Amino acid sequence: MAAPLRALQAVSEAFASAGEGRASARAAWQASAHEASRHPSGRRVVATPPATDEQQLIERAQAGDQPAFEELVRRHADRLYAVVLRYVADVEEAEEVTQEAFLRAWRAISDFEGRSQFFTWLYRIGINEAKRRAERRPAPTTVSSLEDEPLEDAPDWSEAPALRAEQGELRRELERAVRALPVDYRIPLILRDIEGLSTEEAAEVMGLGEVAFKSRLHRARLAVRRAMDEYFIEANR
Amino acid sequence: MISRLLKRRRFMREHDWTHAHLSEYLDEQLDPDEHRRLEEHVSMCPQCRRVLATLRRTVESLMGLGEQPQPSIADGVIQRLRSEP
Repeated sequence: MAAPLRALQAVSEAFASAGEGRASARAAWQASAHEASRHPSGRRVVATPPATDEQQLIERAQAGDQPAFEELVRRHADRLYAVVLRYVADVEEAEEVTQEAFLRAWRAISDFEGRSQFFTWLYRIGINEAKRRAERRPAPTTVSSLEDEPLEDAPDWSEAPALRAEQGELRRELERAVRALPVDYRIPLILRDIEGLSTEEAAEVMGLGEVAFKSRLHRARLAVRRAMDEYFIEANR
Repeated sequence: MISRLLKRRRFMREHDWTHAHLSEYLDEQLDPDEHRRLEEHVSMCPQCRRVLATLRRTVESLMGLGEQPQPSIADGVIQRLRSEP
């Protein structure tokens, strides 16, 4: 079996394997990809699928081959959905936005010139669609926050075992802190830190220069960090 | 007295600069001089040390959010595509 096919099969098997979840799929995806970037944790994060294989699918889709486009959907739908889900109100809306984004991408596939990665083009369509819907909605009742100054009386929780042991509660707290960020700051953090795109890729999705992107990402990270300060102060009382 | 004030001013300048560049440090995007500059300040400043350590932990924890298993929605998208004229 050709290497790209073997890699694709590994990804499919990992997705199909009940109970192993997305971590396994991601691991298989990482093993299959040829380009990786380094995340601050030291882990290698892959955001780029095998180019030649994907390029062929794109070219076939551009020639009107819908099954080829459907293969692109299988590769990217869940990742796009995960991004959109942290942007919009609920799972149903996230699913609608994801479907609409792929419909738009299918209709516009001939406009894709390959100057960027396919998924950055796709994410951009998805995020624009989510923005469009958000503008039609009434203003959110939750208040966005970008408080990022460290709290003087916060403990150093960087080694706190609770970060792992009480994962459920901390996950919720992190999710809450991410959701509380203003959208223009939330999306950079989702793309870079949660989805593992490189700075360059994530800036491109946002349509921002790298300097502006880094500045938003940094403030978003500091704001989430500060929210965790608050959480640990409360937990220590 | 003046030298103490100057020293304090220099410290605060480095403090602000460090605070603004912590993410780039974690992402290994600083050049070697900047990298050294940041580490030098962090070694002298307990607050920056704590913020750096907890920011690193924050970023690591955020990465974990991306690994939550979710039901695949690809089939729904494909169904919608096929139903479009």
